[in-house]
Amino acid sequence: MTEATKYQNRIELLQGTLDMLVLQALLREPMHGYAIAQVIRSRSGEVFTVETGSLYPALHRLERQKWVKSEWKLTESKQRAKFYQLTALGKKQLTADHQRWLQLVRAIGAVMEPEVQP
Amino acid sequence: MHWPWERAKESLSEELEAHLQMAIAERVADGEDPAQARAAAQRELGNVPLIEDVTRERWGWMWLENLLSDARYALRQLRRAPAFTATALLTLAFGIGANLGVFQLLYAVILAELPVPHPEEVVRIHAARTPFDQSWTISYPAYQRLRAATPDVPLMATAYVVEDARLELPNRASINASCTPVSDNYFSVLGVTPAAGRLFIQADARQVQGEWPAVLRYDFARNTFGSAGQAVGQHMLLNGRSFVVIGVAHRRFLGDITGHAPDIWLPLELQSTGAFSFSWDSLGPGHDVSLDKPWYNQPTIFWLALTARIPPERRAVVLAHWDQVFRNDREVMTEATADPAVKAALLNLKTGVAPLSENGMRKRFTVPLTILMALSASIFLVGCLNLANLQLARLHAREHELSVRMALGASRGRLIRQIVLEDALLLAGGSLCALALGRAASGILVRWVSNRNALFTLDLHPNLPLAALGAGLMLLSLLCFSILPAVIAIRTGVGQTAGSRAKVAGISQAARQRYRSNVLLGTQVSLSLLLSTMSACFAATLVHWETVDVGMDREHVLIVRPELHQPKYTDHSELLPELYSRIQERLQALPGVRSAAVEMCGGIHCGWITALYVHGRNNLTDAQVHGQEDLVGLGFFSTVGIPILRGRDFSSSDTDKTQRVAIISRSYARQLLGDADPIGQLVGYEPAPNDHKFLIVGEVADARVNGAQREAPPVIYMSINQNPAPVNSIRVRAVGDPRQLSASVRQALYEVDPALPVSEIVPLATELDGDLGTEKLLARLAGVYASLTLLLVAIGFYGVMSSRTARRKSEFGIRLALGATRGHIQMLIVGQTARILLAGILPGAILSILAVRAASHFLYGSVSANSLAIIAASLVLAIAGSIATIIPARRAAFADPLETLRSE
Repeated sequence: MTEATKYQNRIELLQGTLDMLVLQALLREPMHGYAIAQVIRSRSGEVFTVETGSLYPALHRLERQKWVKSEWKLTESKQRAKFYQLTALGKKQLTADHQRWLQLVRAIGAVMEPEVQP
Repeated sequence: MHWPWERAKESLSEELEAHLQMAIAERVADGEDPAQARAAAQRELGNVPLIEDVTRERWGWMWLENLLSDARYALRQLRRAPAFTATALLTLAFGIGANLGVFQLLYAVILAELPVPHPEEVVRIHAARTPFDQSWTISYPAYQRLRAATPDVPLMATAYVVEDARLELPNRASINASCTPVSDNYFSVLGVTPAAGRLFIQADARQVQGEWPAVLRYDFARNTFGSAGQAVGQHMLLNGRSFVVIGVAHRRFLGDITGHAPDIWLPLELQSTGAFSFSWDSLGPGHDVSLDKPWYNQPTIFWLALTARIPPERRAVVLAHWDQVFRNDREVMTEATADPAVKAALLNLKTGVAPLSENGMRKRFTVPLTILMALSASIFLVGCLNLANLQLARLHAREHELSVRMALGASRGRLIRQIVLEDALLLAGGSLCALALGRAASGILVRWVSNRNALFTLDLHPNLPLAALGAGLMLLSLLCFSILPAVIAIRTGVGQTAGSRAKVAGISQAARQRYRSNVLLGTQVSLSLLLSTMSACFAATLVHWETVDVGMDREHVLIVRPELHQPKYTDHSELLPELYSRIQERLQALPGVRSAAVEMCGGIHCGWITALYVHGRNNLTDAQVHGQEDLVGLGFFSTVGIPILRGRDFSSSDTDKTQRVAIISRSYARQLLGDADPIGQLVGYEPAPNDHKFLIVGEVADARVNGAQREAPPVIYMSINQNPAPVNSIRVRAVGDPRQLSASVRQALYEVDPALPVSEIVPLATELDGDLGTEKLLARLAGVYASLTLLLVAIGFYGVMSSRTARRKSEFGIRLALGATRGHIQMLIVGQTARILLAGILPGAILSILAVRAASHFLYGSVSANSLAIIAASLVLAIAGSIATIIPARRAAFADPLETLRSE
């Protein structure tokens, strides 16, 4: 019970960002969960370690919101895996998330480093 | 069964497994040792079932899945406790079903409005009371005058129901049907719609091609012709006249008098055929009345009851107008009244209105049905208490299991939900049974309350209030026997003993729990005592009315009803006395027959109201002169068992050529003459100078000829031989059981006159008991309730004591090992029951006394007799409780102490 609550909290903390990262990872090609985790980790320069306990709930939620769709396929190493693919709706969502993210970064930047401002 | 989520679950596991495999593969590719790689990957992946759980929650259907698994679990639990399940199902079915059944009856009789648009506008019009019957009826010419006076206010007229018209259909046995003659505007003014065909219009006031139109009641049409549609256009004979069915009324329309639904509606105008004997009143002998001629132009035959649709705001104006129009008729109607003061009062009466609901049904049944409703509510309460108690005991027994589950991480809410779901399933099952039972019960109740002398037809369709009551009772019972016990048990018991079997900690807990179940049991005992007492009192009342002295020999007299109302007999009434004497002679020759006699009355509720004036006494008031009249044959009094107090019986020397004679009942004589000897007095139907037509030759004792429950009326008996008329009954007094004579009596009558049909042969006792509908209903239902609660109380004691002794098993083991006797152990347990019984019986007795007082109107019997009922009911309760306790007590006392101690 308590443990479950902890997980849920973390998901909520990361929710907006994790969703965006996952959608971004899927932008170019369909991927399975493991690959998504790897991509996010390597692109972030090993800063973000996406917990499985956050990734899969997020993926299933995104699928329920129809932002991604999934199908079972074989990987290059002949491993059966569930591949997730961005939908049109997901792309729209990603653009919106990205916009908001840039706004957020600019706003935080402006607060933290006022001298940079013209 | 494969639910959609089973597949999704498998897919999720597979997905996570693939994740793991890929992680291992990558680590191995990086050069790690396979075993280490697996361990590291698993560590990285984390708690797989937990991830699955959290992920599944994202699907959004977890609640449904949980619910179904809880439901499966609940079903399993219920199957494991068949005794509890059966008790709960039965309790709920009876508790709710009884309430629904009684409420449906209550609703139909007391609360339901006429199923027509704006029923509140429809009212009875009370213009004037008739001189003898005191009924609110007027003549046909008066009705036409009133109706014409207010063309914009529709006025309907109905005649009284003709109870047993003979309905003949081609190729079928004839049946009896009840008919109500109504005016042509009856259906259109009420706003009743046809279920098939059409209803009456103005043109229906006469025959068309030799046939009269008729409208049928929906259920009657269905039972007789298969369906409403098939009934339309059918031809039939009613009392020998041709009719054609023009339509069937809406299925919910059962006429305008609650309970008395006619099978067939007919136009008023068919009175002129003379084929139907309508109820009527008139001004009495000496006034210009020809019953054999059509009544539509006779202003002194009063037979029409009025009903109108008037909006409340117009009532005063319309009534005042009618008063003016009715003035002449009112004067005519008071002509029979001799008393000038009474006459003036009658003339000053104004036309009034009364709501349709103001009928005998409502007056008669409001109190009994309210009592029944209260009794039903108590049985529901007893059932709920019983279930709550059993439930608490059951949860108590499951305490250990529940606390372990809580320790393992089950949430309180989930546990409560599981328990409540279990009960909701029970409730659903119980409610289904209750619905079926309620439907059946209301039907049975109507049959119980109806009787030979009055059959009721009520609208028992489901309705909104009934559904609301059902849902309310279901929720209430769920709250009582499930949610509250579950919350109490989880809050107090399980939470605090969670995970441990510490018994010391549970002692104060157990004491409180015991106290709670004692209170519940005690309350059950109180209510059960109340129901048992009421049942005993109602039963005693029924027995009283079934055996009360009616002044007649109720056990040995047979009532035979011949059909003498045929032209063959009525056209030659002067020959009837000879026929009667032949019938009497033949019947008295039968073995087992003590005597036989003919009587004008067909049974109880028959004698007609008359006025009698005494020669030489001119100061008699209206109240003194009114009494009942009957025409009887020779030997009537000895046949029915009415003793002759003074003077003589009618004899064969009293003929139409000698002085007209009469025999008077004790109370009529006292009413007219005080303590003076009535023998030799001259009396007549009218005041002087016509007050000496009959000579009183005898005085007989009073008899309850109007039914066991009504006071013996004042009666004047005339000789049928001096006033020849077709009789409605032949009374036969048997030596033994009168029922055994039916066949031989029928045969004997056939031998006397093969053309004389006999419509019915029925013992006097049956006829008298036929009046006791309300008493029977109360006695039977209270009896059923009392036995049910008794059973519930017994089950309650058994269940609670069993669970208690089971919990104290080790204590008893130690006691026995330390030298306590088995008797001592048994006494311990039985002593507990005794205390609870005592605590329940005392308030129960007070409750019963109050209830008996409240219902005293329906109870016959003194205070001491009713207290005897309370004592008897307490005894029965005590015995039932003790027997239910002795079983677990013996089980506890005869358990092997070594065995119990070893199992610890």
